[in-house]
Amino acid sequence: MKLATAWRSLLRWVDAFRRALTSLVELLAEGFGFRADVDVHTMVTFRAVADAVLPETPGLGAELGAEHVPGGVAIDLDEFVVTYVNDGFQLGLPYVGPLGNVPLADPIAQVLDAAALRLIDRGEHASEPSDDRPVSLLDPGEASPREIRSAAGAFSKLSRRDRLRAIGLLDEFEFTVSPVGDDLFEFDAGLVGQLVIGFTEMIYYSEWQGYDEFTCPPSERVHPNDPAAVQSWRQTGFPGFANGYAALRGYVGTDHGPLGDGPVWTTIDADATAPVRLARESGSFRENDYDTSGYEEPYPE
Amino acid sequence: MVADRYDVVVVGAGGDGPVAAWKLGEAGLSVLVLEAGPFYGNEQWPKPNEEPGGEASSSASDLSGDLLDEQFTAREFEMVTKLLFGPADHERGFWFRKFPGDGAILQCAGVGGTTLHYTGCHPRAYPASIDEQGHWPIDYADLVPYYREIEAMCEVTPAPVTAKEELFFRGAAAAGWDLLDGLNVTDPGYRPQPNAIRQPDPKLHVDAGYDGAFTYPDVEGDTLALGDIAGNPHPRGAPYEEKAKRASNVSFVPAALQTDSVTIRPNAFVTDVLTETPLGDTPTATGVRFRDTWSGRTEIVDAEVVVLAAGAIETPRLWLNADLPANEWVGRGLTIHFGDNVMGLWDADDLEERLGKETVDQHEGQDIAARFDYPGLGMLQTVGTAPGIGAILGFGASASGFAFQNDPADAPWDSTGRLAGTDLKRLLADYRRMLQVLVVTDDRPHRRNGVTVSPALSDEHGPIPLVNFEPSEGDRKRRDELAEIAAEILREAGAAHVHRSDSPPTALHVHSTMRMGKVVDEACEAYDVERLFVADHSALANGVGGANPTNTGQALAARTADRIVDRHF
Repeated sequence: MKLATAWRSLLRWVDAFRRALTSLVELLAEGFGFRADVDVHTMVTFRAVADAVLPETPGLGAELGAEHVPGGVAIDLDEFVVTYVNDGFQLGLPYVGPLGNVPLADPIAQVLDAAALRLIDRGEHASEPSDDRPVSLLDPGEASPREIRSAAGAFSKLSRRDRLRAIGLLDEFEFTVSPVGDDLFEFDAGLVGQLVIGFTEMIYYSEWQGYDEFTCPPSERVHPNDPAAVQSWRQTGFPGFANGYAALRGYVGTDHGPLGDGPVWTTIDADATAPVRLARESGSFRENDYDTSGYEEPYPE
Repeated sequence: MVADRYDVVVVGAGGDGPVAAWKLGEAGLSVLVLEAGPFYGNEQWPKPNEEPGGEASSSASDLSGDLLDEQFTAREFEMVTKLLFGPADHERGFWFRKFPGDGAILQCAGVGGTTLHYTGCHPRAYPASIDEQGHWPIDYADLVPYYREIEAMCEVTPAPVTAKEELFFRGAAAAGWDLLDGLNVTDPGYRPQPNAIRQPDPKLHVDAGYDGAFTYPDVEGDTLALGDIAGNPHPRGAPYEEKAKRASNVSFVPAALQTDSVTIRPNAFVTDVLTETPLGDTPTATGVRFRDTWSGRTEIVDAEVVVLAAGAIETPRLWLNADLPANEWVGRGLTIHFGDNVMGLWDADDLEERLGKETVDQHEGQDIAARFDYPGLGMLQTVGTAPGIGAILGFGASASGFAFQNDPADAPWDSTGRLAGTDLKRLLADYRRMLQVLVVTDDRPHRRNGVTVSPALSDEHGPIPLVNFEPSEGDRKRRDELAEIAAEILREAGAAHVHRSDSPPTALHVHSTMRMGKVVDEACEAYDVERLFVADHSALANGVGGANPTNTGQALAARTADRIVDRHF
């Protein structure tokens, strides 16, 4: 697939301004049945993302403990990322569906394939692509091996590390589109990398897994706030959200200045002209005189 | 409830708009504040993300700590999704802005604006950035009385020390830097953050053996629960005005409403500035047009003076989308404190030696409570995050690819780049033994950087903001030097491994797109439109040296409110 084609898919919303573009309207009409029946290509591609970004790591089991083995796929991270990117951005235009959200998962999957093909074209992949990889990512009940082979794109056939290399190429992609008249816009595909790496990591390491259902109204969301319900908290040691901690050590200051007051709890810098300590009380900042006449620009513009 | 006409309409109830509204209300003027996002913790909107609720709020008695407790769950993913810039309706996604590369703009919608997820840091600008860098038409001394006024309102005090701050201070001292104790910083050194967060209850000292509840009234002030980025509703159970973090919704909004002259209407996105132009004369602002984000209905309100306080992205967007005179600096000169992250990881033994325990526990204490200042370069600050935000800020993006593709060789860090896969899982397994230092660069205003719009890319509120940012060579050098200082401080603090993200440009602090001296005059009134003022961070003439900008933005908004009264009432 040509890169420019994939990018145009991602930016279908740009073309929303040309209401005559019937393909967009069709895409959006399908949009709300989308989550119930995610396209196999999209499903495999996002599974491959979760598997590369937060893989199952048997090696870490021996090194750090059994709780460090499972990855994103074990907790259906990919399914939520698809939902999140489809619901996450909106233009609010009435003809872009009732909520105006723009489903991005399909076009992102296509952009990832385009990136994979470029990696292969350049010969920068370390392992040969394989049809077996996408098949191994899905359970037999989800789709038949034949169906998966026919739907899977280049991205899901790469090794985990080559998938990351392909995502790394997205930063280089620049596109020019001219949706109306003579106006030209340059885009890069950085948003795709941000969603499939940054947001995927944030979701995984956050409290997300613990919700009964994140997509329900905020006032109805239930979260147990317990590491037993959040795999990543067991991996990071994060204890859950607390109302407070008795963790105060004091206030930094010296005997000679206005910061830090009262009994000393510990010394930070005994060698300073005025030793720096942690004291029980804060003291206050000084409303000091200032003179900027000696200012020198370290790196002049 | 909302009238057709006010003395002043303020566009935006973010960090700065409520400051101007409070001052104008105190002066006896009738003020309407229009806010695009929801109003949390207000009885007019019991389910602000699910139902349209009331129309407007004019009374401090509408404010509810209980509702804020319910709506601000402190859960990081939920709160980030809730607060980031988008409509109140939870079923609708973020408002789209185009930003280059894999960076992003982190701004909030809602009463309180981006102070809802700011970390309470309230330092002043570096005096030299105002008086010596050549961007400002006023002096630092002009701001000092307003800094004092803002610091008193926000209860700014030295931040408390928990384990992560002690570790940083030990590293900074061992690296040879001095402790600073002044508010007006002219030399490099380290100090506690001047934070707009009430100090913790003394009974929370590690030696005090406290084992009671961490809720009000058992505990007052800060409870040392991490979570400023996620909204910080602590102490739970406290009345709205007694919440520890003095975000503008807690500090200035109650004060504004108590004047009985101020009305705040959330869910109201301003799409046009209305003007009249007597023949051959300069246009005069006469009001605004806004759209209700729930109903889609459009309304007009007239005013003697219009104040733009929609933030450094939306204020220029509004100007460009309204039919206002062209000015080559509208939207231009954007500074974002071109940032980076440098992370230290420790072995348990080394922590035991320095802290008396084997973990840093970044989830305890205030999010950002220790800092390093270097006028001319910018600043460093320690950052505690819950693991999800830590992952995306520290490891999710890089301008130099994945860590496995980089060999830092002789660099002062052991690894650099984005992390994913096994490398990420291994590193985050040490979450409780890591400390992140945020590099905040004194980037300088350049005309190429900023906000533009095009009719071809619109949403329901008109053409969307297209943001451009490309750091200068000087910006990169300043950032590199700060990153090296951060690495040295972490090493001196005993870190066994130092990682540098080499983050792509990401806009955490956003300013200087409607600069004083270029777009607005010394009173922050537009050169090209009479009775149109700017009272947000876009009016800052530069990035205030790299210091956190909230204090300066608010001080300038307070000063602008005084000038509005002097000139027009």
